[in-house]
Amino acid sequence: MMQRYWVILRKELFCLFISPATYVSTFYFLALLGLGFRFFIESFSGTNWILPPLSSLALGLLFGAPALIPFLTMRSIAEERRLGTLETLMSAPVNASSVIVGKWSASYLFFLMICCGAYAFPILLSIMFPEQALTLGFNKVEHWIGGFIFLMTFGASFSAIGIFSSSVTKNQMVAGMLSFSLITIYLSVMAFSYGEPAANDNLNSFIDFFAILGGSLNEGLDKINFFAVGILDIQTIIHQIIVVFFFLSLATLQIEKIRH
Amino acid sequence: MSADSKPLPIIEVLNLKKRYGLIQALKGISFSVGKGEIVGFLGPNGAGKSTTLKILSGLIPADSGEAKVCGVDLAEEDGEVRNHIGFLPENNPLPEDLRVIEYLKFRAMLKGLKGSRKRDRIRIALDICDLERKVSERKIGNLSKGFRQRVGIADALLTEPRLVILDEPTIGLDPRQSAITRKMMERLRGEVTFLLSSHILSEVEACCNRMIILSHGQIVAEGTLMELQKEFINKTVFEVVALTKRIPLQKSVREVDETCELLQDEPVDASGKKRFIFSTDKGEVVAESILKHLMGIPKLRVFEFQIERPDLETIFLRATKKNWEENDLLGRRARRFRKE
Repeated sequence: MMQRYWVILRKELFCLFISPATYVSTFYFLALLGLGFRFFIESFSGTNWILPPLSSLALGLLFGAPALIPFLTMRSIAEERRLGTLETLMSAPVNASSVIVGKWSASYLFFLMICCGAYAFPILLSIMFPEQALTLGFNKVEHWIGGFIFLMTFGASFSAIGIFSSSVTKNQMVAGMLSFSLITIYLSVMAFSYGEPAANDNLNSFIDFFAILGGSLNEGLDKINFFAVGILDIQTIIHQIIVVFFFLSLATLQIEKIRH
Repeated sequence: MSADSKPLPIIEVLNLKKRYGLIQALKGISFSVGKGEIVGFLGPNGAGKSTTLKILSGLIPADSGEAKVCGVDLAEEDGEVRNHIGFLPENNPLPEDLRVIEYLKFRAMLKGLKGSRKRDRIRIALDICDLERKVSERKIGNLSKGFRQRVGIADALLTEPRLVILDEPTIGLDPRQSAITRKMMERLRGEVTFLLSSHILSEVEACCNRMIILSHGQIVAEGTLMELQKEFINKTVFEVVALTKRIPLQKSVREVDETCELLQDEPVDASGKKRFIFSTDKGEVVAESILKHLMGIPKLRVFEFQIERPDLETIFLRATKKNWEENDLLGRRARRFRKE
């Protein structure tokens, strides 16, 4: 089944690369992000930003994800369902989970490529203005790695939400809107609970366990404080993996339901 | 061939049932298809043809019953048997933005083909389906319906399948394109088993060894064209063009077969030739005896004699008529009962 997963992943990546919509959305996203980053860095000394300046890029990418992820995921299953090609795909010796994971991996990898593209801005800045870059702390590798892992963690769960949204409808616009709404709601919950005290860590009952689980999912944004300085919060990573697993399982069940 | 040495059928279906909500799409059908056969799968819209084909291609599971392909029960297999099945779904959905060659490469890899074998199989499939190199470089979205259909068939043939299931392969194709599809099946006759669903009865008649007729989820007829003709058409109809009058000819015919009925007589031209259409219950042999008898009468000049063989359309309509009426009656009764 691994071989089929690779085949689907390659094909999906190829389809993303040949789609003009992907290039247009990526260009505008990176252009806006670049402008935002430029103005932020320019006015950084006048702000009360306590995190390393590089974390602004990660947060920019995170809050831009509701606009970007739908472009990468909305076509993947909705379009196949509309054209009927999902039926042809499933007539090959391949199971629903390979299809879903393959499609998710492709969107996720493309999202990471865009993130890499976004990180070209601070790299360019370091090359062109090395002294200013040093003042802004761009020489600290842990800031780069921490921020990127933060993006990897949330990018995975947002892509899974996008894939799930794409699996529930034949209309890619509806899939895109659903994906946008779900990711925005998730980000809003995290943004509104930012800075709130954490849930009790005593695991006395299932209720406590779920409170901590929910609490950590809500407080994902707070963890940027750790990731930004290169400290990896394993709990956040595990919880985002759970989100990925949850939404990909729902998408797989949806495909199985369509088949029956 | 003894029963022991008889090869395993490629398809074995036993009491297959499938329900979609309130609709019972398949009501326990059973049939088998042998190696190398080309079997036509016929039926009116909503008869359950596509459902059966989807179950046999492993796309959807049956509710109950057994469906075996190449001896493997589809309910228990892990997907590998699908490598032996080529499937062309109804309407042949294809990704619009891939080139033909890219699509076939993707499908070949998905079906487990690698390296030189992958290249060879793609080349052979393109060749069988008459897809030239120029066409294979074009985007599928820019192809005509006929070419798209051939791409779908090429995909179905990629893995040297033992069974190819074609759901309406020639729908919307011009006669030339349909002929190419038939030619492709002819090329593979004997090597590959074909299960072909189509509403174009002349096409099924021309290329299928056997037909299975479905109506309302049940098999209403199964067999070769001759067998179906015997089963559903009781009377043999024959046509005589002769220079004679009605009464003497009828008398001569009745000397051989008293039950023979004159259905129609009409003038052919101004010379006095007439076309007479008779029907007999006693089969083609008696019709031939009548011809011999007429030829022996000196005053009677027979210009043409032809036994009319009923086409598949007539058989299809007769086979589905009873089942259709029953189901329609039941449906009406059920609706009336619900209203009451």
